[in-house]
Amino acid sequence: MTRVTTPDPRPRVVAGAEGGGLVEGRRCTACAEVVAFAWPACPACGGPVEPARFGPEGTVWSATVVRVPVPGRTPPYGMAYVDLDDGPRVLAHTGGPVPIGARVRLVPGGDDGDVRVEVVG
Amino acid sequence: MRVGIEGVGTSHFGRQPGVDLVDLAFAAVDEAFRAAGGPRSVDAVWVGTVFGPAGVAQRVLRAMGLTGMPVLTVENACASGTTAFAEACEAVRSGRYGRVLALGIERMGDGAITPEPTDPEGRSGLALPALYAMAAARWLHEGRVTPEQLAAVSVKNHAHALHNPRAQYAGRYTVEEVQASRMIADPLTLLQCCPTSDGAAAAIVGPAAPGQVTVRSVALRSGAPWNHRSPHVWGHDVVRDTAVAAFAAAGVGPEDVDVAEVHDAFTIGEIVTTEALGLAGPGEGGKAAAAGRTALGGEQPVNPSGGLLSRGHPLGATGLAQLAEIVWQLRGEAGARQVDGARIGLVETMGGGVSVLDGNACVVAVLEAP
Ligand SMILES: [Zn+2]
Repeated sequence: MTRVTTPDPRPRVVAGAEGGGLVEGRRCTACAEVVAFAWPACPACGGPVEPARFGPEGTVWSATVVRVPVPGRTPPYGMAYVDLDDGPRVLAHTGGPVPIGARVRLVPGGDDGDVRVEVVG
Repeated sequence: MRVGIEGVGTSHFGRQPGVDLVDLAFAAVDEAFRAAGGPRSVDAVWVGTVFGPAGVAQRVLRAMGLTGMPVLTVENACASGTTAFAEACEAVRSGRYGRVLALGIERMGDGAITPEPTDPEGRSGLALPALYAMAAARWLHEGRVTPEQLAAVSVKNHAHALHNPRAQYAGRYTVEEVQASRMIADPLTLLQCCPTSDGAAAAIVGPAAPGQVTVRSVALRSGAPWNHRSPHVWGHDVVRDTAVAAFAAAGVGPEDVDVAEVHDAFTIGEIVTTEALGLAGPGEGGKAAAAGRTALGGEQPVNPSGGLLSRGHPLGATGLAQLAEIVWQLRGEAGARQVDGARIGLVETMGGGVSVLDGNACVVAVLEAP
């Protein structure tokens, strides 16, 4: 795989106090929009943003299993859009398939930079 | 000023590793000039391409003697070709230029699109089929579509392409065969995904003249943020909003459309799009495909060319390939896939790849028969 040298655009996940992961994102001080990224302004209104952390738990909005080769990755691998509780929707790796509506928890960030969730309970 | 389509043309579509892009582009432009008649010159050129290297537009144009004029290259993902068309039309409508060539070109190489590593979701390994798979899985979960209805889109469009000699693929498949093909990203199987293609397509536009297909309207917009607050699956709302603008400007509604070419890179795409355009009601898109309402011979045929699924999907060329099909349909020149008496035609293309956005761009054009 070609080594990517550009800044990593993915959400940054840090360890929370209770063991799960938290996404370091932003909240708009004008319209309260939340994003999973450290972007300089609000994507909804262009207003100013302040740092905010989201997670660790959320609900699977949709999910799939990628079964085709993607550079640097070995299929099959599961992915889901997860709506974090009171937070933004994030794209996360799930390992295998997960059902829509499942409760999941962010796993603190690993070396590869992927956002990862595990099913709760 | 009403804009008219003087002529359209396309190359063959498919994997064509031995054919220079110069020759693919010439095939499209030459056919468009032949259809248009008159001098083989224009006042300006808009070129749509996604993966073309720097200078690709001027490189293909100088090989066919089109030099010394304004040349503008645009990129709007899968809607790049229709974006070139939209800008060419606006340049004529506003009087900026008299006769303009819109050209779409793409060489896709050997495999599927590599997810963009500067995009969060691309860097995360979200291949494009997986993005559409998320929409399909969600609508299946909501009961808004069934697996059989998804497959029916593939059956229909592959059958349409049997009548299109320029198509990359064609075939008579059953719903069961589509569902049994190799899984790409659950629930989308191989026959529900467009192939990677090389190709070119072109249109020459100018002030409308008698006997021409004319442009009633063309609308272009990029998506709003797509996130936890979005009421619909990815891509739905940008198509809906672009269509509303296009229909308002055209003075017609979805019920007036006789034939449409829409963005069916994946089966779910056609179903979401027919609903977003208003060709089908909420929850009715899959039923329309399964019941034959959107098939040739049905009430409102969609993708008579075979669509992206079967004709092929050379990204930058796709929008103009869709346009060429609608122009032929409205001129009564579509051969065995002709929609009898088609008077109003619609082209819709949407492109994505930027995460947290409801589509990089959508273009909807409404065209009228001579
Ligand atoms: Zn805001």
